[in-house]
Amino acid sequence: MHLLLVGISHKTAPIDLRERVDFQARGIELALRTLAARNPGGGPGELAVLSTCNRAELYIACDDVVAAKSELVSFVSAFHDVDHAAIAPHIYDVTDLEAARHLFRVAAGLDSLVVGEPQILGQVKEAHSAARQAETAGPLLNRLFHACFAVGKRVRTETNLGSGAVSVSYAAVNLAKKIFGTLEGRSVVVLGAGEMGKLTAQHMKSQGVRQVTIVSRTIAHAARTAEAIGGATAARWEDMDAALSASDIVITATGAAAPILTKARVESVMRPRRGRPLFVIDIAVPRDVEPAAGEIDQVFLYNIDDLQASVRENLARRASEVSRAEAIVDEELGKFATWMRSRGVIPTVVALRQSFESIRRAEVDRLDFKLSALPSDVRDEARARVDEITHLLVEKLLLTPTEQLKSLADPETAAIYADAIARVFALEEAEAKSDSRVEPFRAKPRPSGRR
Amino acid sequence: MNLIPLVLYFCAFVGYSLHFARRTPVSARLATTMLAAATLAHTFIIGMQTMQVGQVPVFDATSAISMFVWLLAVAYLYTEVTTDERAMGVFILPLILALQAIPAFKRTAEVRSSVLQGPLFGVHVSSLLFAYASFALAFVIGITYVLLFKEIKTKHLGVFYARLPSLQVLDQMNQRAIVVGWVFLTIGLIAGGVFALEAHAPAMSIEDPKILVSLICWVVYSFELFAARRIGWAGRKAANLSAVGFAIVLLNFVLISYFTSSHKF
Repeated sequence: MHLLLVGISHKTAPIDLRERVDFQARGIELALRTLAARNPGGGPGELAVLSTCNRAELYIACDDVVAAKSELVSFVSAFHDVDHAAIAPHIYDVTDLEAARHLFRVAAGLDSLVVGEPQILGQVKEAHSAARQAETAGPLLNRLFHACFAVGKRVRTETNLGSGAVSVSYAAVNLAKKIFGTLEGRSVVVLGAGEMGKLTAQHMKSQGVRQVTIVSRTIAHAARTAEAIGGATAARWEDMDAALSASDIVITATGAAAPILTKARVESVMRPRRGRPLFVIDIAVPRDVEPAAGEIDQVFLYNIDDLQASVRENLARRASEVSRAEAIVDEELGKFATWMRSRGVIPTVVALRQSFESIRRAEVDRLDFKLSALPSDVRDEARARVDEITHLLVEKLLLTPTEQLKSLADPETAAIYADAIARVFALEEAEAKSDSRVEPFRAKPRPSGRR
Repeated sequence: MNLIPLVLYFCAFVGYSLHFARRTPVSARLATTMLAAATLAHTFIIGMQTMQVGQVPVFDATSAISMFVWLLAVAYLYTEVTTDERAMGVFILPLILALQAIPAFKRTAEVRSSVLQGPLFGVHVSSLLFAYASFALAFVIGITYVLLFKEIKTKHLGVFYARLPSLQVLDQMNQRAIVVGWVFLTIGLIAGGVFALEAHAPAMSIEDPKILVSLICWVVYSFELFAARRIGWAGRKAANLSAVGFAIVLLNFVLISYFTSSHKF
């Protein structure tokens, strides 16, 4: 049995194509059900669909990789009604451990458009829970996804891959949080009714800012922008100083040619504040705030270049953390690989246990007539004892061989051992005799209608 | 005997430095565990001394410093557990180490004056020690505030920006520590005054440098608490003020205790 990944992402496909193969549009559950009905590549029929705005990936456990691949590609094209020839060149596929590595890297944020972005881990979790709900996640995919959650969590806590803001408005919000703790209950004044100021104010608003005031030379403009932000108020240009005195954060984004906030003006605004800090974000070019205003105690002045520099620094820092994150991926992949390999010998282990168990049963049954001769008050007790002792004996005899088999690292060696054990204990004959063999790969019985 | 906690505090300092550099969950656990172990060992030693003399050992400067270090460690551990902020540990432990070195290498006095007894004396000394521990905490928090403030102000966002809580939180923590410290300082001073009157202790006047400096200390912290913010001395200035206050505390607590003959009975 193999693990197969087939998908497209921002690395292989342009945006218009990615938009068309968005599984979320028609529902992941429908996709899972449709695909489960086809059971591509045969085998246990384990499936999961990971769909975000930058990627659409199908993870399946199957027996025939080649058949499954072509079936999955035609499924994607049919499900989304996209021409097969148009989509096929953009699709990538990887198998087994490389597929696992891919998912681990995705969960870690290493494969994202913005490296280290935090949303992806949640989206991977959603993909897994959707597969569980549709009952298409079996032991292999469950193990795979749990392993990738561990990778995501470790990368987040042990590296700085996701740290630092990587956009200007995020950088502004992060700085504000470092000064004020939380933005809840804070008030923001925006000078200028332009687009940039509006966007930053909206971002602040989504972080729980209590009040946003737009100040513009034309009150009508201010009112319009305030309405667009929602829940914001407009103030007249003449009332600017009063608004500034009452605010915690000032965003300046006017088109003025000369600085509006001179050092003297900021000083006069600061006086009634009694040392309450003021965070001034000047995103206008040319600048709206005199640089000297940043020298005033308790005034933190950042212009667009400062914010961009911090964004660049953060991107560079993230890049330098990539190798640490990759090391975590490798480490967890090693653990997953050991588990995958140990699965190869599971049929042999199961057959061996069943063979031993049937011998034990037969002997216990054979002994039973002697036990029936015992007085009735001790008979049941004796039976229970015999059953318990023989069971323990079999367990103990099998413990070491089972562990040894599972710990074999090299799949070829494992196959040789498995073969040798099968011959020595005549496991195939035993299998042929017994119809009650449990298939070890099956997750749980699924309603037959879905297959 | 005070050497054992000193060694353990040093291990904790290594742990916190490691955590400051790496910030992994393992280093975090290691640091906190080491500090908890050090504090536990210290508790045990103070407990043993208490059993020996039948009273909390605070009647001479050396054992009082040991007690002070213990209070500081407990107060810091409490803030760490309640806020889950460990970045401050690397700043607080050097102070703990420097002060714990005194009881670790200096013998405590064996003879104690018969004057220094009674509940009021206990209230006087323990309140003051607790006040000093709070001021020490406020001082360390103030230092971190200033470091972070400078990083944000000069736009060189780096080590402290990534590790410390926000300025607002640091300012609040600093203020809270000063409120607690001020309350105990006031109680301690009043108890000391009443005790001196009752015991008819000799040479109890404003001319005693220890009493004088304690009163200056009280004035400085009262100013920070009640007046500073009204005249706009918030944030960095308040943090600097708590450093000044603690410098006076240290002067009083360590230097005057060992190098002058004041306040001895």
